[in-house]
Amino acid sequence: MFNIIYIERQVADHPRTREICTRFPHATRVECDRYGEVFNPNAQNFRLQKRNPSLILAEKHKGRVLQAPEGYGLGGRRNYYFSHMLNCLYDCRYCFLQGMYRSAHYVLYVNYEDFENDMGTILAEADNESCWFFSGYDCDSLAMEPVSAFVQHFLPFFSRHPQANIELRTKSTQIRGLLKMAPIPNAVIAFSFTPEEIYHALEHKVPTLERRLQAMLQLQQAGWQLGLRFDPLIYQHAYQAQYRGLFQRLFSQLDSEQLHSVSLGTFRLPHSYFRNIVQLYPDEPLFAGAFSTDNGMVSYPQALEQEMTAFCTRELLQHIPESLLFPCTLAA
Amino acid sequence: MINLVVALPAEARPLIAHYRLTDKTTHGGFRIYRNAGMSLIISGPGKVAAAAATALLAACNSAAAQAAWLNIGIAGHATHATGQSLLAHRVTDHATGKSWYPPQLFDLATTTTSLLTVDRPESSYHHGLAYDMEASGYYAVATRFSSAELVQCFKVVSDNREHSTASVTAESCVQLITRALDKIDLLLDALSALAQEHDNWHAAPAGLEQLTRQWHFTVSQQHQLAELARRWKVLVPNQPLWLDKLDTRKKAAEVLQCLQQHLDSLAPGALQATQEPGV
Repeated sequence: MFNIIYIERQVADHPRTREICTRFPHATRVECDRYGEVFNPNAQNFRLQKRNPSLILAEKHKGRVLQAPEGYGLGGRRNYYFSHMLNCLYDCRYCFLQGMYRSAHYVLYVNYEDFENDMGTILAEADNESCWFFSGYDCDSLAMEPVSAFVQHFLPFFSRHPQANIELRTKSTQIRGLLKMAPIPNAVIAFSFTPEEIYHALEHKVPTLERRLQAMLQLQQAGWQLGLRFDPLIYQHAYQAQYRGLFQRLFSQLDSEQLHSVSLGTFRLPHSYFRNIVQLYPDEPLFAGAFSTDNGMVSYPQALEQEMTAFCTRELLQHIPESLLFPCTLAA
Repeated sequence: MINLVVALPAEARPLIAHYRLTDKTTHGGFRIYRNAGMSLIISGPGKVAAAAATALLAACNSAAAQAAWLNIGIAGHATHATGQSLLAHRVTDHATGKSWYPPQLFDLATTTTSLLTVDRPESSYHHGLAYDMEASGYYAVATRFSSAELVQCFKVVSDNREHSTASVTAESCVQLITRALDKIDLLLDALSALAQEHDNWHAAPAGLEQLTRQWHFTVSQQHQLAELARRWKVLVPNQPLWLDKLDTRKKAAEVLQCLQQHLDSLAPGALQATQEPGV
């Protein structure tokens, strides 16, 4: 899977580093002082690197758990996000990570315990008020589970802290670890979907819609709380039929009464990320359409955005109560 | 375009013969050998000379948007046998301590190594490191002109703890590079394919030049035109950038507006399945 594993010198002897390295005995190990030496230089091309990214094992020193932007959340008042990893196994053409990072290498922060300590501090300050911790912003929460053992490590923490809620956002079917655990009520496994046509055009290396749906059914049967994420909504001429079909397919099999939440948001990117992505993929039809820029954000023209959100909201409300629906109202 | 940077004439000779680099010129004391798709410059020993030669070659070949770059030469190594081919996964400048990490995208059989660029020939070999005198100068400059994935260092072990640098001659150097030509071929094929693909992504559609000849575009308008040309290539593939109604437009701003309106009306209604190649 990896030809090369870059390792920060200070985590070279970390037990998690050693464990991960034993999984890849043929990978060449290259030491570096700080992961930024490998990850951050200017002269890199995300698109070229995406063909064969390497793994970087590093320590996250600060900014481990951050306050989520206003408008982001599932009804809670205290919302935070954290990333144990940068970059994703998948290659979705609409993903903002392509525009945010210069490198497609996967950075895995091995100091999980420090993340937990930071969450513990936040919980102590919250004085028993419920907090939400969102994972899956800079990476897919489950896709790298066999390597990272992220869920295996973090869920016991949430099991011990019932006032802390976690969202694991994913397009992965790596659910073996979850199925081996007893479900906890304060974890939501949130799966992202686009219609089949968009999946084929834009979501490279992602498990098929059917496999993800089957994974959800297994988790639901095991008692895990599930979420559905339709973000970003992508426009095509036939988007109404496509999204209607997608919703029917999902809700005909999932038990919507057991769903925790459903959220949606249209395609939008900060202008600087959009510019970088277009530079990387000038030949991508998704970026050849008409977009508008407003307040530094690139999105579909407002009328189209409103039309898509209204249509999908109407369609979703035929399957779920309004209390489960959380439209995303903030910038990406 | 492929750019080769080598330090010594003895390292260059097998490459010039193998790739038939028959067109020879001299710039500022540097000898450059070329064929239609490849250039080779002989830098002379040392990282400063390598940096200067790399910059000169980039300037001479400025038409190539993203060239593939390869530094080829001999190196010392503590444990590898002489003749072992190595590709650098880390290049460190001994004097400054700065390191670069050439991304390794290809599944080639060539062993990769950490390469330390020193200012003087090294006789005490530390375990696990290859030694040369040019790579850091070359790499720092070449990555100003091409993306790091396209800039690599290929070395052949010429000396080690058992065979000192004193045993390296021009003749042995020729032999070492000659024996590595198969591996160099594989690497250059992979690198040039990647560079070519990159250039194809960014190639302007036919007809763009005619527009810029016919109307005067300000710098800002040139950026707008480039963006419209990009969209044209996707939405109107295989057709030159031209609309009949442009004939009646007098100003560049009118041309831009006309193209914009046309392209907005063509916004993709159905995305096509595509797949990025892996390695």
